Amino acid sequence: MPDGQADRARRYEYSYVDVSHNGPGRPGGPQPAGSPPGRPGPAEPAAPPGADLATLLGRVARGDEAAFRGVYDQAAGQVLGVARRVIRDPAQSEEVMQEVLLEVWRTAARFDPAVGSASAWIMTLAHRRAVDRVRSEHSAAQRELRVAVARVDYDEVTEAVETTLEHERVRRCLASLTELQHEAVTLAYYQGYTYREVAGLLGVAVGTVKTRMRDGLIRLRDCLGVE
Amino acid sequence: MSDRHRGPGRRRARGADPHTLAGAYAMDAVTDDDRARFEQHLAGCETCQAELRGLRETTARLAAAAEVRPRAELREQTVRAAAQIRQLPPASAESPDRAAPRWRRARSGTPAQAVPAQAVPAQGTPAAGTHRGRRGRGWLPRLAIGIAAVFALVAAGFGYAMHGAEHRLNMAQSRSHVIANVLGAPDAKMMTGRVSTGGSATVVMSHRASELVFTAADLRLLPRARAYQLWLMGPSGSRSIGVLPAARNGMTGPMVVSGLAPGDAVGLTVEPAGGSPQPTSAPILMLIL
Repeated sequence: MPDGQADRARRYEYSYVDVSHNGPGRPGGPQPAGSPPGRPGPAEPAAPPGADLATLLGRVARGDEAAFRGVYDQAAGQVLGVARRVIRDPAQSEEVMQEVLLEVWRTAARFDPAVGSASAWIMTLAHRRAVDRVRSEHSAAQRELRVAVARVDYDEVTEAVETTLEHERVRRCLASLTELQHEAVTLAYYQGYTYREVAGLLGVAVGTVKTRMRDGLIRLRDCLGVE
Repeated sequence: MSDRHRGPGRRRARGADPHTLAGAYAMDAVTDDDRARFEQHLAGCETCQAELRGLRETTARLAAAAEVRPRAELREQTVRAAAQIRQLPPASAESPDRAAPRWRRARSGTPAQAVPAQAVPAQGTPAAGTHRGRRGRGWLPRLAIGIAAVFALVAAGFGYAMHGAEHRLNMAQSRSHVIANVLGAPDAKMMTGRVSTGGSATVVMSHRASELVFTAADLRLLPRARAYQLWLMGPSGSRSIGVLPAARNGMTGPMVVSGLAPGDAVGLTVEPAGGSPQPTSAPILMLIL
């Protein structure tokens, strides 16, 4: 398939996923009673469902709360997902999710679409903050424990909470990596280990792990059709 | 940091090509020291910035696949909390660094515009410029300079393995001259391939100069009686380039290959220690040039 075509196909899938994200039953959809004034609905100048995240960020930068709800609806689940993977503890993960969303609110004006996508910007914030949390709070002993249990579930991505097209694509692309690339990428990204820790975990040379992280991500990038 | 005790690994990693850190950096799989070191490298490496941008988009997809559903009440809590938080103004127009990622901002000394310390890099993908055409041209020469630096390091290491200071010096000089020629050629092209028995090989070539520079990384250690042999394989048969030197720190080479002809491929085989006049086993790497 020519590049352009693959690209278009991906965009199509993306928009499909986005729509489903904002459909009923999603956090952004109608909520059970409890906070009626705040929930999106006809009464509110709500962000259009599936509105482009970058556009929403532009509005958030001007203090638009409705747009912020739109950003929340598109990003919070992913931010929380990353935090849960890295931190494990559900309460701390929720804290980090909220911190990240508030950071997005606070610094939205600094988002520059020329430098990368809105979701990459937010997820970079999210992952970094999750990693900082585990690295600052875990004593050496706790980290050893994490190391001990880590190998059990680095393949968690295959048991995603919901099966979306995105899950399916990522799962398929992860499966196309070599075993070492796969382990290096998932241990680093989903578990928050440094490459040196990953090298220790896998009993592989540090330089090899660094290389595998890079070429693994590059292969993933190509498989996912990332521009 | 709890991995500080891994002293030797740390020191070795320092000497390595910072460029290979791109993957670990994109996944925050680095210590603060590594991060600082890589960002320093990044500031002058547009190829890396472009690569990092792609890698960050990729990790964002990994995040998307991890999505879970937050508890419903968190939404309004978060929105209410946001209403209490003062937002940063857009970076002012007078600041030429507006779009620049933090590492660049920090260097140019506009603290007022910098994202406060608790924020992670304001723009996660410091690919500024490369994709806006501002500095779009000329990445190859820069790439070449980057690679040249690496090759020079490797060449220096390689030189020490030889006997005789003079010989060592001459070899290093002539080799680095040729290497610089290839890497600096306007038509320099880089290719990377996987070695089927483990490791990878990188070739930088210039058709104009009809020369290429070959390096390999993480090749599997061979028994003493065997060696890796590099070939130029073309329509008219295979020509031996030579037996690869022993690896240092996982890096092999660089080997300079001259006299490229159209249709040539670079092949690597495992041969008896002294090398063979013609390949005696199937290539474990083929790079079609």
